[in-house]
Amino acid sequence: MEPNSPFQRTLREFWPLLILSALVTAVVVIIQAFGDPIVSRSLTEALIRLVVVVALFIFIGNSGLMSFGHIAFMMIGAYATAWQTMPVMTKGIFAPGLPEYLLQNSHHWIPATLIGGVAASVVALVAGLALMRLSGIAASIGTFAFLMVFYSFYLQWSTWTAGQSSLVGLPMTTTPWVGLVFSLVAIAVAFFYARSRFGLALRASREDAVAAQASGVNVQVQRLIAFVVSAFLCGLAGGLYGHFLGLLTVDTFYLPLTFITIAMLVVGGMNSLSGAVVGTLFVSFAIEILRVLERGVTVGVPVKLPANSAEVGLGIILLLVLIFRRTGITRNQEIYWPWKPVVSVSSVTRRQS
Amino acid sequence: MKRQDTLEISGVTVRFQGLTAIDSVTESLVSGEILGLIGPNGAGKTTLVNVVSGFQKPTEGSVLLNGRTTGAETPHSLRRRGVARTFQAGRLFREMSVLENVAVAGVGMGRTRAAAHAEAMELLDWIGLAPKANLIAGALPYTDERRVGIARALMQSPHFVLLDEPAAGMSDLECDELMRLVRDIRDRFGCGVLLIEHNMRVVMEVCERIHVLDSGRTIAQGKPEAVRNDPAVIEAYLGGG
Ligand SMILES: Nc1ncnc2c1ncn2[C@@H]1O[C@H](COP(=O)(O)OP(=O)(O)O)[C@@H](O)[C@H]1O
Ligand SMILES: [Mg+2]
Repeated sequence: MEPNSPFQRTLREFWPLLILSALVTAVVVIIQAFGDPIVSRSLTEALIRLVVVVALFIFIGNSGLMSFGHIAFMMIGAYATAWQTMPVMTKGIFAPGLPEYLLQNSHHWIPATLIGGVAASVVALVAGLALMRLSGIAASIGTFAFLMVFYSFYLQWSTWTAGQSSLVGLPMTTTPWVGLVFSLVAIAVAFFYARSRFGLALRASREDAVAAQASGVNVQVQRLIAFVVSAFLCGLAGGLYGHFLGLLTVDTFYLPLTFITIAMLVVGGMNSLSGAVVGTLFVSFAIEILRVLERGVTVGVPVKLPANSAEVGLGIILLLVLIFRRTGITRNQEIYWPWKPVVSVSSVTRRQS
Repeated sequence: MKRQDTLEISGVTVRFQGLTAIDSVTESLVSGEILGLIGPNGAGKTTLVNVVSGFQKPTEGSVLLNGRTTGAETPHSLRRRGVARTFQAGRLFREMSVLENVAVAGVGMGRTRAAAHAEAMELLDWIGLAPKANLIAGALPYTDERRVGIARALMQSPHFVLLDEPAAGMSDLECDELMRLVRDIRDRFGCGVLLIEHNMRVVMEVCERIHVLDSGRTIAQGKPEAVRNDPAVIEAYLGGG
């Protein structure tokens, strides 16, 4: 093959997408081959989190703004989906305040999940009009306030959300394979967003907002686009999560989940899609090992860690990364084409990051 | 006939708290003209560029683009209307490639990614940086950095380009090369150029008209020969050290 053929150039350009999809697929296939139901459940949860972390990357990685609010989008999607998919019988008991149409009907989880994603992105559009005016620390605090508001609101809104108790009876449709499909979709969305003109403009504003404006970039609009796209994916992940757990509790969507998903992104490397994927896989795996050790295993000698070791372990991993390798496992780079590229002047393709 | 665009700075004053950075400055620029803006450090040159490019609202006065005031424009909307600028500090997107740095201005103005990349590549080729298109901008030597900044400002053929000290820190040889580039910009794009420059020799050579600022005030305005021999200018430059 000619060293710099169009085929090779295309392959190189899409390499991160291909390799990350292959990696996630391989992990799922291998784990499913063992058929352990407990591990399989952990895998599904990890895949749902992967969708969230990839969504976080779309916004945080490209804009350079931190968001502590995205779990609220997950919650909005989760409830919006559940309101459609719960059996008519249980709906009347747990969410009697729902509109008549929803009380009388129950829908398939796929369209319901998509509508859940749309609901989250509509909220993101409205909230983003205000939030995206902020920058730096003010933006982070603003998104955190957004999370608090929605969390408190859903807790109080008990005729729709069952408040302190749970919506139960959601069909358990989220298998590892469903998780895989949505993960691959999320990865593809993030990849194509990042290499689109919108991704390019937003990354420019991350590097230098003043120079981006001087280049015609409407920074606020670009941030808003990423915010809405990432909220859509979080909404989907929320829908999946409800149908993974079989029940929904408002408390699920608060600080621990916010912390763990951000930690996954930071550990992997915030500014690259590869970082989001690698970070999620790595942290999920580490947590799983720690959980096993919490339960106690015998490797020659019996080993048993105290409860909550997983949380402590995650905190330590995050601190180590922040101190010693701030750009994360991937050093904020995409996973490259493994062979040395032939530098070509006419080639307008380059790594996307 | 080629369209004539005009940019008028009309009685612009900018005050920061107590400090008057620019004091009722009036100037105008038309397509195809190279106007020099000189003055000692702190004279208000960058502030004036900020006003014209929409980054700084004037305390008094206004800027008119083709007769219409730009008071309500934002920096990005002004860029779309054809007023482009570079920055004294370069302000490249350091983690992005040279090609992407330039292409950003294309997508910023609504072009597709492919169209922006193609135009950026053409500009880089013209400015002599095509072989470095795929390098990370943060790794460039400063002479190249300036050129990338200029290429970025030239995307989508602006009507006016404001160059904020593009030759700062350059050797005489590099300066001369840059001034050739400034002329080429005018010839190729037909735009009006506002050139801020410290090096008197260089400005005199390339500019048709010169505006001299000192402590925010206009102290001389006109043809290079007249400005060179103006006692106030000599005083500002030699007297101030
Ligand atoms: N944003 C600002 N706030 C307060 N003072 C400023 C600001 N920008 C510039 N100045 C002051 O205005 C004066 C002119 O600055 P500047 O336009 O950068 O000068 P020049 O580009 O000619 O060196 C300086 O005294 C500077 O300290
Ligand atoms: Mg200056």
